[in-house]
Amino acid sequence: MVIPFKESIIVGFSDLWSRKIRTLVTITGIILGTMSIIVVLSLMNGIQKKTMEWMMERGGLAKITVRRDWNYESPTNEPKVFTLREINLIKSLVPEAKYMNPVIRAYIKYSYKKNNYWGPVRGVLTDFSAIEEWDVEKGRFINEIDIREYSDVIVIGTKVKEELFGNEDPIGKWITAHGKRVQVIGIMKHRFMENSGAVGNDNALSYLNRRCFIPLSTMVRKGTGNDEINSFTVKAYDANSAPDLREKLEAIILNLRHGEPVFRIESAQEEAEKMKQQQLIFTIIFFLISAISMLVGGIVIMNIMLATIKERTREIGIRITVGAKRNDIFFQFLIQTILITFLGGIVGVFSGISILSYVSEYLKIELFANAFTILIAITVSVGLGMVSGIIPAIMASRLNPVEALRYE
Amino acid sequence: MIISTGNIIKNYKMGKVIVSALRGIDIEIQKGELVAIMGPSGSGKSTLMHILGCLDTPTAGKYFLNNEEVSKIKKAKLAKIRNKEIGFVFQTFNLLPHLNIQKNIEMPLMYSGLSGRKRAKIAKKVLGSVGLSDRLKHKPSELSGGQRQRVAIARAIVNNPSIILADEPTGNLDTTSGNDILSIFSDLHTQGHTIIIVTHDQAVAKKANRIIHIVDGLIQNGNTL
Repeated sequence: MVIPFKESIIVGFSDLWSRKIRTLVTITGIILGTMSIIVVLSLMNGIQKKTMEWMMERGGLAKITVRRDWNYESPTNEPKVFTLREINLIKSLVPEAKYMNPVIRAYIKYSYKKNNYWGPVRGVLTDFSAIEEWDVEKGRFINEIDIREYSDVIVIGTKVKEELFGNEDPIGKWITAHGKRVQVIGIMKHRFMENSGAVGNDNALSYLNRRCFIPLSTMVRKGTGNDEINSFTVKAYDANSAPDLREKLEAIILNLRHGEPVFRIESAQEEAEKMKQQQLIFTIIFFLISAISMLVGGIVIMNIMLATIKERTREIGIRITVGAKRNDIFFQFLIQTILITFLGGIVGVFSGISILSYVSEYLKIELFANAFTILIAITVSVGLGMVSGIIPAIMASRLNPVEALRYE
Repeated sequence: MIISTGNIIKNYKMGKVIVSALRGIDIEIQKGELVAIMGPSGSGKSTLMHILGCLDTPTAGKYFLNNEEVSKIKKAKLAKIRNKEIGFVFQTFNLLPHLNIQKNIEMPLMYSGLSGRKRAKIAKKVLGSVGLSDRLKHKPSELSGGQRQRVAIARAIVNNPSIILADEPTGNLDTTSGNDILSIFSDLHTQGHTIIIVTHDQAVAKKANRIIHIVDGLIQNGNTL
């Protein structure tokens, strides 16, 4: 009968305890390896979550954006902007699109009483709010009547409200935008997302709060310095149908520009997939780097175990003399190695978790080691113990007891 | 008959040279005997003891232990025999320095599969029988040579084996301690243990029922009383 597992663990622990310094040196590599696995996996996990959060904040995965490709120079001088007619044509060709919104952008001066503010303005249609999943906090957004009637109305961002009105209620008030009088009909909801790792600005979405919106028709007819539609956004019915819709849009737009890729058509769903894949590659690379450090740790352990066995040759001889079987010796040393790596794994997990809290604070990304990550880290360290412990354990169990007893 | 050997030969390979440690040993030992094996250094007496203790195997010849041919016994059973049937006492004590006295004595019991509580109980009792009850938690380095050898004897007898093999048990001790150890062996002999002592010391050999002289791997005085 092989001595019970519990007994092996007790023997293993007392061996480790009686050689504390060596145990500590032995497990250092495993601690560092496990720690880096925990940090890397959790970090990649956190970044992925943050990316998704960003995508969702920017209108979700069903959103498709068509914008000018600034890197492409058309040899035949194909138009780099859309006309409203083209937008209407495209809309009629893609019934799969739930919403569609062309955008004209400009950078203008706003004034109210003595206050002035320079900021971006967007000429939009009513679908804008639905596509961006961004509504007003107060008042109302641009509606169909505003579009039809070329209404002189404006919906302002919270930053603009703050700069022009301070604590005053802006709804119904008239401001001057690019020299023309427009009435404030709504204030957009304040946008906020904690900025990851950036210096200075805490809000990753603060640029959205600086925007104002007026009806597209008003912008085109009355002019605010720019009436070119160089981008538009589309929303599919759901994220899964977005890639197909993107392909269809691409074909239509390419056709409109005689096969020239003047525009880039990007689906948030596909972007998210791409990012996920890139992050997976990074995860694998970082994991491999951690694995190499674990491997080095494993080689160190194997080396130390071989030295330990050499040093304890006489002990092995004594144990065999008093009745230990080959298996007892084998398991004694294997379990000891596994205990070392398990211990290293546990310390590594805790160190990793405490490092995560610092990294999390620094990068402002919510980072935590989930059960799966911890399981991977522990499994890898214990597995390493088995692999690096098996050869020394076999060597120990095959020692000749007579020679072992003579060993000085 | 507890031990009987038939023409045991043991050769060692040292580089390209084959050295014959035992060149045909025939011995018979009865149950309850106290036998001394004597001989000069390199005569092969320790080799014989290792073979008798199932730690080594002969190159040729037969060894019967309790009428069973040892070469036909499986390794796991041999471990069990070393654990239950044979107790070893060495000149250099061979205690584990990082374990305390109790744990050293408990070792054979652990390999017998006894629980911790039972082991502790037996170990205490046996340690009492060699007069060291108060040293249970001490490390071997905290004991004198004579005390260490008493601990080694306690470990050898803790599983109540029928045979005790002692290799120069008094070789590292002063006369007083040596005599103490010999009297313990005498007591064990009286209790019915079969004891085989390998020794240089005539005083030790005189305590034996029988002396076997080995020179150059051969028995010199025959296998007689």
